[in-house]
Amino acid sequence: MDDLLQHFIVEAHELIQQATDDLLALERNPQATAPMDSAFRAVHTLKGSVGLFDFAPMGIALHAAEDLLGALREKRAGIDTHVIDSLLACIGQAERWVAVIEQTGQLPPDAAEEGYQLARALRSQLDEDPAQAPDAALQADLGWVEELMAQAHDPAALRAQDHPLVAIRYTPRADCFFAGDDPMALLRSVPDLLAVRLSARDPWPPAAEIDPFSCNLRIEALSGAELDRVKAVFRFVPDQVTLHEVAQAAQNEASIAALNGAGAGAATGATGGAGARMLRVDASRIDRLADLVGEMVIAKNALAHLAGQFDDGLDRKHVAQGLLASQAAIERLVAELHGAVMDVRMMPLRDIFRRFPKAVRDLAGQLDRAIDFSMEGEEVEADKAVVEGLFEPLLHILRNAVGHGAEPERLRLEAGKPAKTRIVLKAYRDGDRVKVEVGDDGQGIDPAAIREAARQRGIVSVDDLDRMSDGDALDLIFAPGFSTASEVTDLSGRGVGMDAVRSAVERLGGQASVRSLPGQGTTIRLSLPLTIVMTKVMAVRLGHELYGIPLDGIIETAFVPASRVLPVRDAEAFVWRDRTLPLVRLADLLGIQALGEAPQRLKIVVMAAGDDLVGVAVDGFAERMDVLMRPMTGILANMPGVMGTTLLGDGSVLMILDIPELIV
Amino acid sequence: MSVRLDGNVIILEGLCRVEDAEPLLGWLQADRGRMVDLAGAEHLHAAVLQVLMALRPTIRGAAGDSFLRDWIAPALVGKNPVESDQRGS
Repeated sequence: MDDLLQHFIVEAHELIQQATDDLLALERNPQATAPMDSAFRAVHTLKGSVGLFDFAPMGIALHAAEDLLGALREKRAGIDTHVIDSLLACIGQAERWVAVIEQTGQLPPDAAEEGYQLARALRSQLDEDPAQAPDAALQADLGWVEELMAQAHDPAALRAQDHPLVAIRYTPRADCFFAGDDPMALLRSVPDLLAVRLSARDPWPPAAEIDPFSCNLRIEALSGAELDRVKAVFRFVPDQVTLHEVAQAAQNEASIAALNGAGAGAATGATGGAGARMLRVDASRIDRLADLVGEMVIAKNALAHLAGQFDDGLDRKHVAQGLLASQAAIERLVAELHGAVMDVRMMPLRDIFRRFPKAVRDLAGQLDRAIDFSMEGEEVEADKAVVEGLFEPLLHILRNAVGHGAEPERLRLEAGKPAKTRIVLKAYRDGDRVKVEVGDDGQGIDPAAIREAARQRGIVSVDDLDRMSDGDALDLIFAPGFSTASEVTDLSGRGVGMDAVRSAVERLGGQASVRSLPGQGTTIRLSLPLTIVMTKVMAVRLGHELYGIPLDGIIETAFVPASRVLPVRDAEAFVWRDRTLPLVRLADLLGIQALGEAPQRLKIVVMAAGDDLVGVAVDGFAERMDVLMRPMTGILANMPGVMGTTLLGDGSVLMILDIPELIV
Repeated sequence: MSVRLDGNVIILEGLCRVEDAEPLLGWLQADRGRMVDLAGAEHLHAAVLQVLMALRPTIRGAAGDSFLRDWIAPALVGKNPVESDQRGS
């Protein structure tokens, strides 16, 4: 793919997003000037960029959108949901096209038709003729098709055709002769013509005023050939032709709708996947990197200078001092460089958040719920991988909030709540973690219903269920295999439940939890690391080997006299802060023969394994460190109990253990 | 030349191109009673066709070309029988 096209794709994504944001803002406040200007600019710029490539249908549609926005901007009136819908439909289609272009380098084959239809729908709004709404236009179209069929040489035979016919309505542009077009030659090359009707686009002027070189024809025809073959004839004049498949019109509509759906899926897939997408970086961050590299060069030169002095026979002590100073400088620079590189990978949550208002709006429309959606903390930053990995889970949570949380307006009013369900998506920094919450003031989750569903689906035993607190019962929504009956509807047709949300979040190194009060609403809270690249680990010693344990699982380290360890059948336990914890020995977990005598005092790492605490006995504690953890790859990828590896300063490899997995 | 005037009859022959529209229009504007002969025409450019559609002269002779005969000629004669009858008489 050439550079220009790549830049176009990056830019198009941004402009499309910008336009979507602005349109939604306009819908909320039709009088606002800033989003109107901004939407116009975005669409205008996008149209201009499209013009650089051979994407004519996209240009035609965007041009119509631009004209409509321009007209709305002029008179500041007529901005209603209907107009916003048609503009969003155009922008949404542009987004799907860009996704296809990203993958194939070109527009899909049906783009010409789609583009023209979008443009027509938009232009009909421009004319302010309500009868010209897309549906009405379609109806009118089918009307002429009927007439045409009646007019064919043998209408009965025509209707008996078992394959669909293609109805063509070709209205050449007035100046088409100057472009070298001969509409009659095109008509002649349409395969398998079944009926033709020629008429004037506008009434003929008096004989004396006729301009022979201004085309005033309208050509309607029926063909028995396949749509693609007919389409190929008109490939150079897609903006002047509408094609309909008739006889199976209804079915065709459905397949178009299905196609659109698939396109939307592909679009989210393409943007949701990390893939090889480009990273847009604030120039100042690159400048900082460049500065640091400059300083690094100076530090390197200082080393060369030192080496020279060494050659000149400088005394040992002096050289050692110089080396130490140089090492300290380089260490500082490396730390800063690392920070700067991590910074480059940081991106604001805005990049995914901004896609939610439209998603929520669409969902609310589909499910006929009135939603008041707002977002906070879009500016909070996290590592690119964390931010991008959050999109799918958050979308699912929002979908649940709309589909299950929000009650119908009537019920809300009866319960004394505002008519619109309030859904808030909120992000904030909390130490070195990012918290993301989705809260709604809907009907909440009834723990009794959850217990009942869990019992029916056999997710937990009845005994366990009885012992569970309501909070624990609520947590079952994250259990694999749990999804309430209503969830298996059109709403979450993808078969992704909250268990997928939890596992996606855990893959990113985070946790998911839920709080809910029946009648008052539900809050799903996600807690994520700022970055998943750096992992804090504590090194522990076993014999002569070091192993790493992620620090976020460790509660504390403790020294426990051997005499305080209690044998419990064939296992061991110890008492820690008035609690009895199971004790496991790391050597046993790893299947390594313990070295030497059993010590008088056990060194124990107290850590969380799932919901329980466990003590892990090791031979020694070593330092804590920040490491760049590399996941296991190749045949080692599935090795249980090992999260990844990192290189230590002396070049040896530190294995980072997944203790909970080892214990299971 | 694919368009020529022979007495009171305008004859369209062979492949009629866009530039044939102007003389055709001129002759028909000058005398609305002139007839048009399509028998030898193999193709009519849309510009030529729309002149015929706008001025509706009497058409003489069935076109030899099947596309013209089947799909185009009916638009010039059959579409508005009352009018063409008047002109034909």
